[in-house]
Amino acid sequence: MDGVGKLKAIGRRFIPFASILVFLTVWELFARAGVVIPYLLPALSTVLAHVYADIMGGDLFRQLGLTFYRAMTGFFIGAVIAIPLGIMIGRFRFFRWFFDPVISITNPVPKVAFLPIFMIWFGLGDVSKIASVILLVFYPMVIAAIGGTLSVDKQLIWSARSLGASERDLLRQIILPAALPQIITGMQIAVPLALIVSIVAEFLMGGEGIGGKLLFAQRRINSPGVFASIVEIALAGAILIKSLEYMRRRLLVWHPETKLTTA
Amino acid sequence: MAEQTNITVENLSHTYMPPKGKPVLALDGITLSVKDKEFIALLGPSGCGKSTLLYLMGGFLDIQDGQIRVNETPVTEPSRDRGIVFQHFALFPWKTVIQNIRFGLDKMNLAKSERDERARYYIDLVQLHGFEDSFPSQLSGGMKQRAAIARTLAMDPAILLMDEPFGALDAQTRMFMQAELLAILEKTPKTVVFVTHDVHEAVLLADRVAVMSARPGKINEIADIELGGGPKDVKSPEFAEMVDHLWDGVRKEALAAGQGR
Ligand SMILES: Nc1ncnc2c1ncn2[C@@H]1O[C@H](COP(=O)(O)OP(=O)(O)O)[C@@H](O)[C@H]1O
Ligand SMILES: [Mg+2]
Repeated sequence: MDGVGKLKAIGRRFIPFASILVFLTVWELFARAGVVIPYLLPALSTVLAHVYADIMGGDLFRQLGLTFYRAMTGFFIGAVIAIPLGIMIGRFRFFRWFFDPVISITNPVPKVAFLPIFMIWFGLGDVSKIASVILLVFYPMVIAAIGGTLSVDKQLIWSARSLGASERDLLRQIILPAALPQIITGMQIAVPLALIVSIVAEFLMGGEGIGGKLLFAQRRINSPGVFASIVEIALAGAILIKSLEYMRRRLLVWHPETKLTTA
Repeated sequence: MAEQTNITVENLSHTYMPPKGKPVLALDGITLSVKDKEFIALLGPSGCGKSTLLYLMGGFLDIQDGQIRVNETPVTEPSRDRGIVFQHFALFPWKTVIQNIRFGLDKMNLAKSERDERARYYIDLVQLHGFEDSFPSQLSGGMKQRAAIARTLAMDPAILLMDEPFGALDAQTRMFMQAELLAILEKTPKTVVFVTHDVHEAVLLADRVAVMSARPGKINEIADIELGGGPKDVKSPEFAEMVDHLWDGVRKEALAAGQGR
């Protein structure tokens, strides 16, 4: 590769970051120009100083931890219900006949509307918050599992049967791995959703957590605190999404999308 | 173990019902009997229903009309006594070559050393040594096909159903694999149904060749390939004559299929 090519390659790697950099610079300049009062838009530098103080204070990690704990608990319980159920729905006509109408009718309902109901049923504690997450993450994962199962190549199943696989073998050794790319896509949608719902539940129900912290700052007219919370959520979310992408590559090493080097 | 394995197909018809569009009559009244340890080739133009017939014999598709029996027992579902090599390999993409070959073996009631040895043997046979740990997506078409053949042969099924198994191989590998298949059958005789559209291959390998008509598939002719016993001499005039004769039949049907469209 020549020098120009190398420069171009390096440039390409930084393009996604360049747009963020431009955005942040505009933010800083706009806020400093005094077009709007700092309460509406505090300068980036002020917000970052706040984030830094939060990190140094140590309390941030406890708050983030609480929010993540609810999001992840809800996500795992949701996955444990949605993925096996979706596979069964995709595989067996009876399950499809029973569950498909229920799922298609309830799916378009804005599920956050159930949060007040959960507050009535389960109170304002973790149970309500985790239940909200479960409800929301259930749909993208069950739908992905159904779709993944329905699109498994028939001849893979035929092959396995003629090689002596039982129905149980088929579900675990053929259908699950064959549907895995789609199921992981469903998880990649569900995880950020879990985080969002966890935060929204804190807005609604109060209590500690990063959403609670944001709400608290807002009530005290501490707008750098509000913005700092958003930046903190964005950073934590980005780490989460990156680790999901990493997990996907690890689980799907066999998949052409993972671009194996030819042996 | 003098087990008999024969296949009887009686008046078999099959119609595909696509979710959208018109029903497709793929097979129309096929009657065929495959004798014990016989090698029968199904020859016919593309789209005439060869794969469909093989899938029905495998027990993969529901039988709508007519019957297939293996040793007088009606075929209703797949069985490991009926091994199949699919035209498009159907390797498990998340398993390596060795894991694909071990899939069926590991479900058999065999000692681990025996399973290891068999996997080893068939890897060597199809010359995939060094590619045991590659995923199918890393292999060429011919290598995938050889892996699929090894996976099925390793089960040592009494019946072998093969759907254009050498179609993706280059000429040289194809000749090698044809010879190897005959050698394996010499050692462990099986009842074979072999789909091909290569007339030369059919005459070389088969005891009998069934020539199918254009869609809807019927059996036009069943030719006995008796070229005086012993190994076939591809250079003999009888061989060339048989190839010519069958080729005429196939060409007619291919033309008919072309006009039908
Ligand atoms: N699942 C299916 N749905 C509808 N038509 C099909 C289906 N599979 C095969 N066919 C049709 O049935 C006919 C026979 O197909 P096939 O058995 O694959 O032929 P061959 O193997 O001889 O090429 C073809 O015309 C094909 O288009
Ligand atoms: Mg075919």
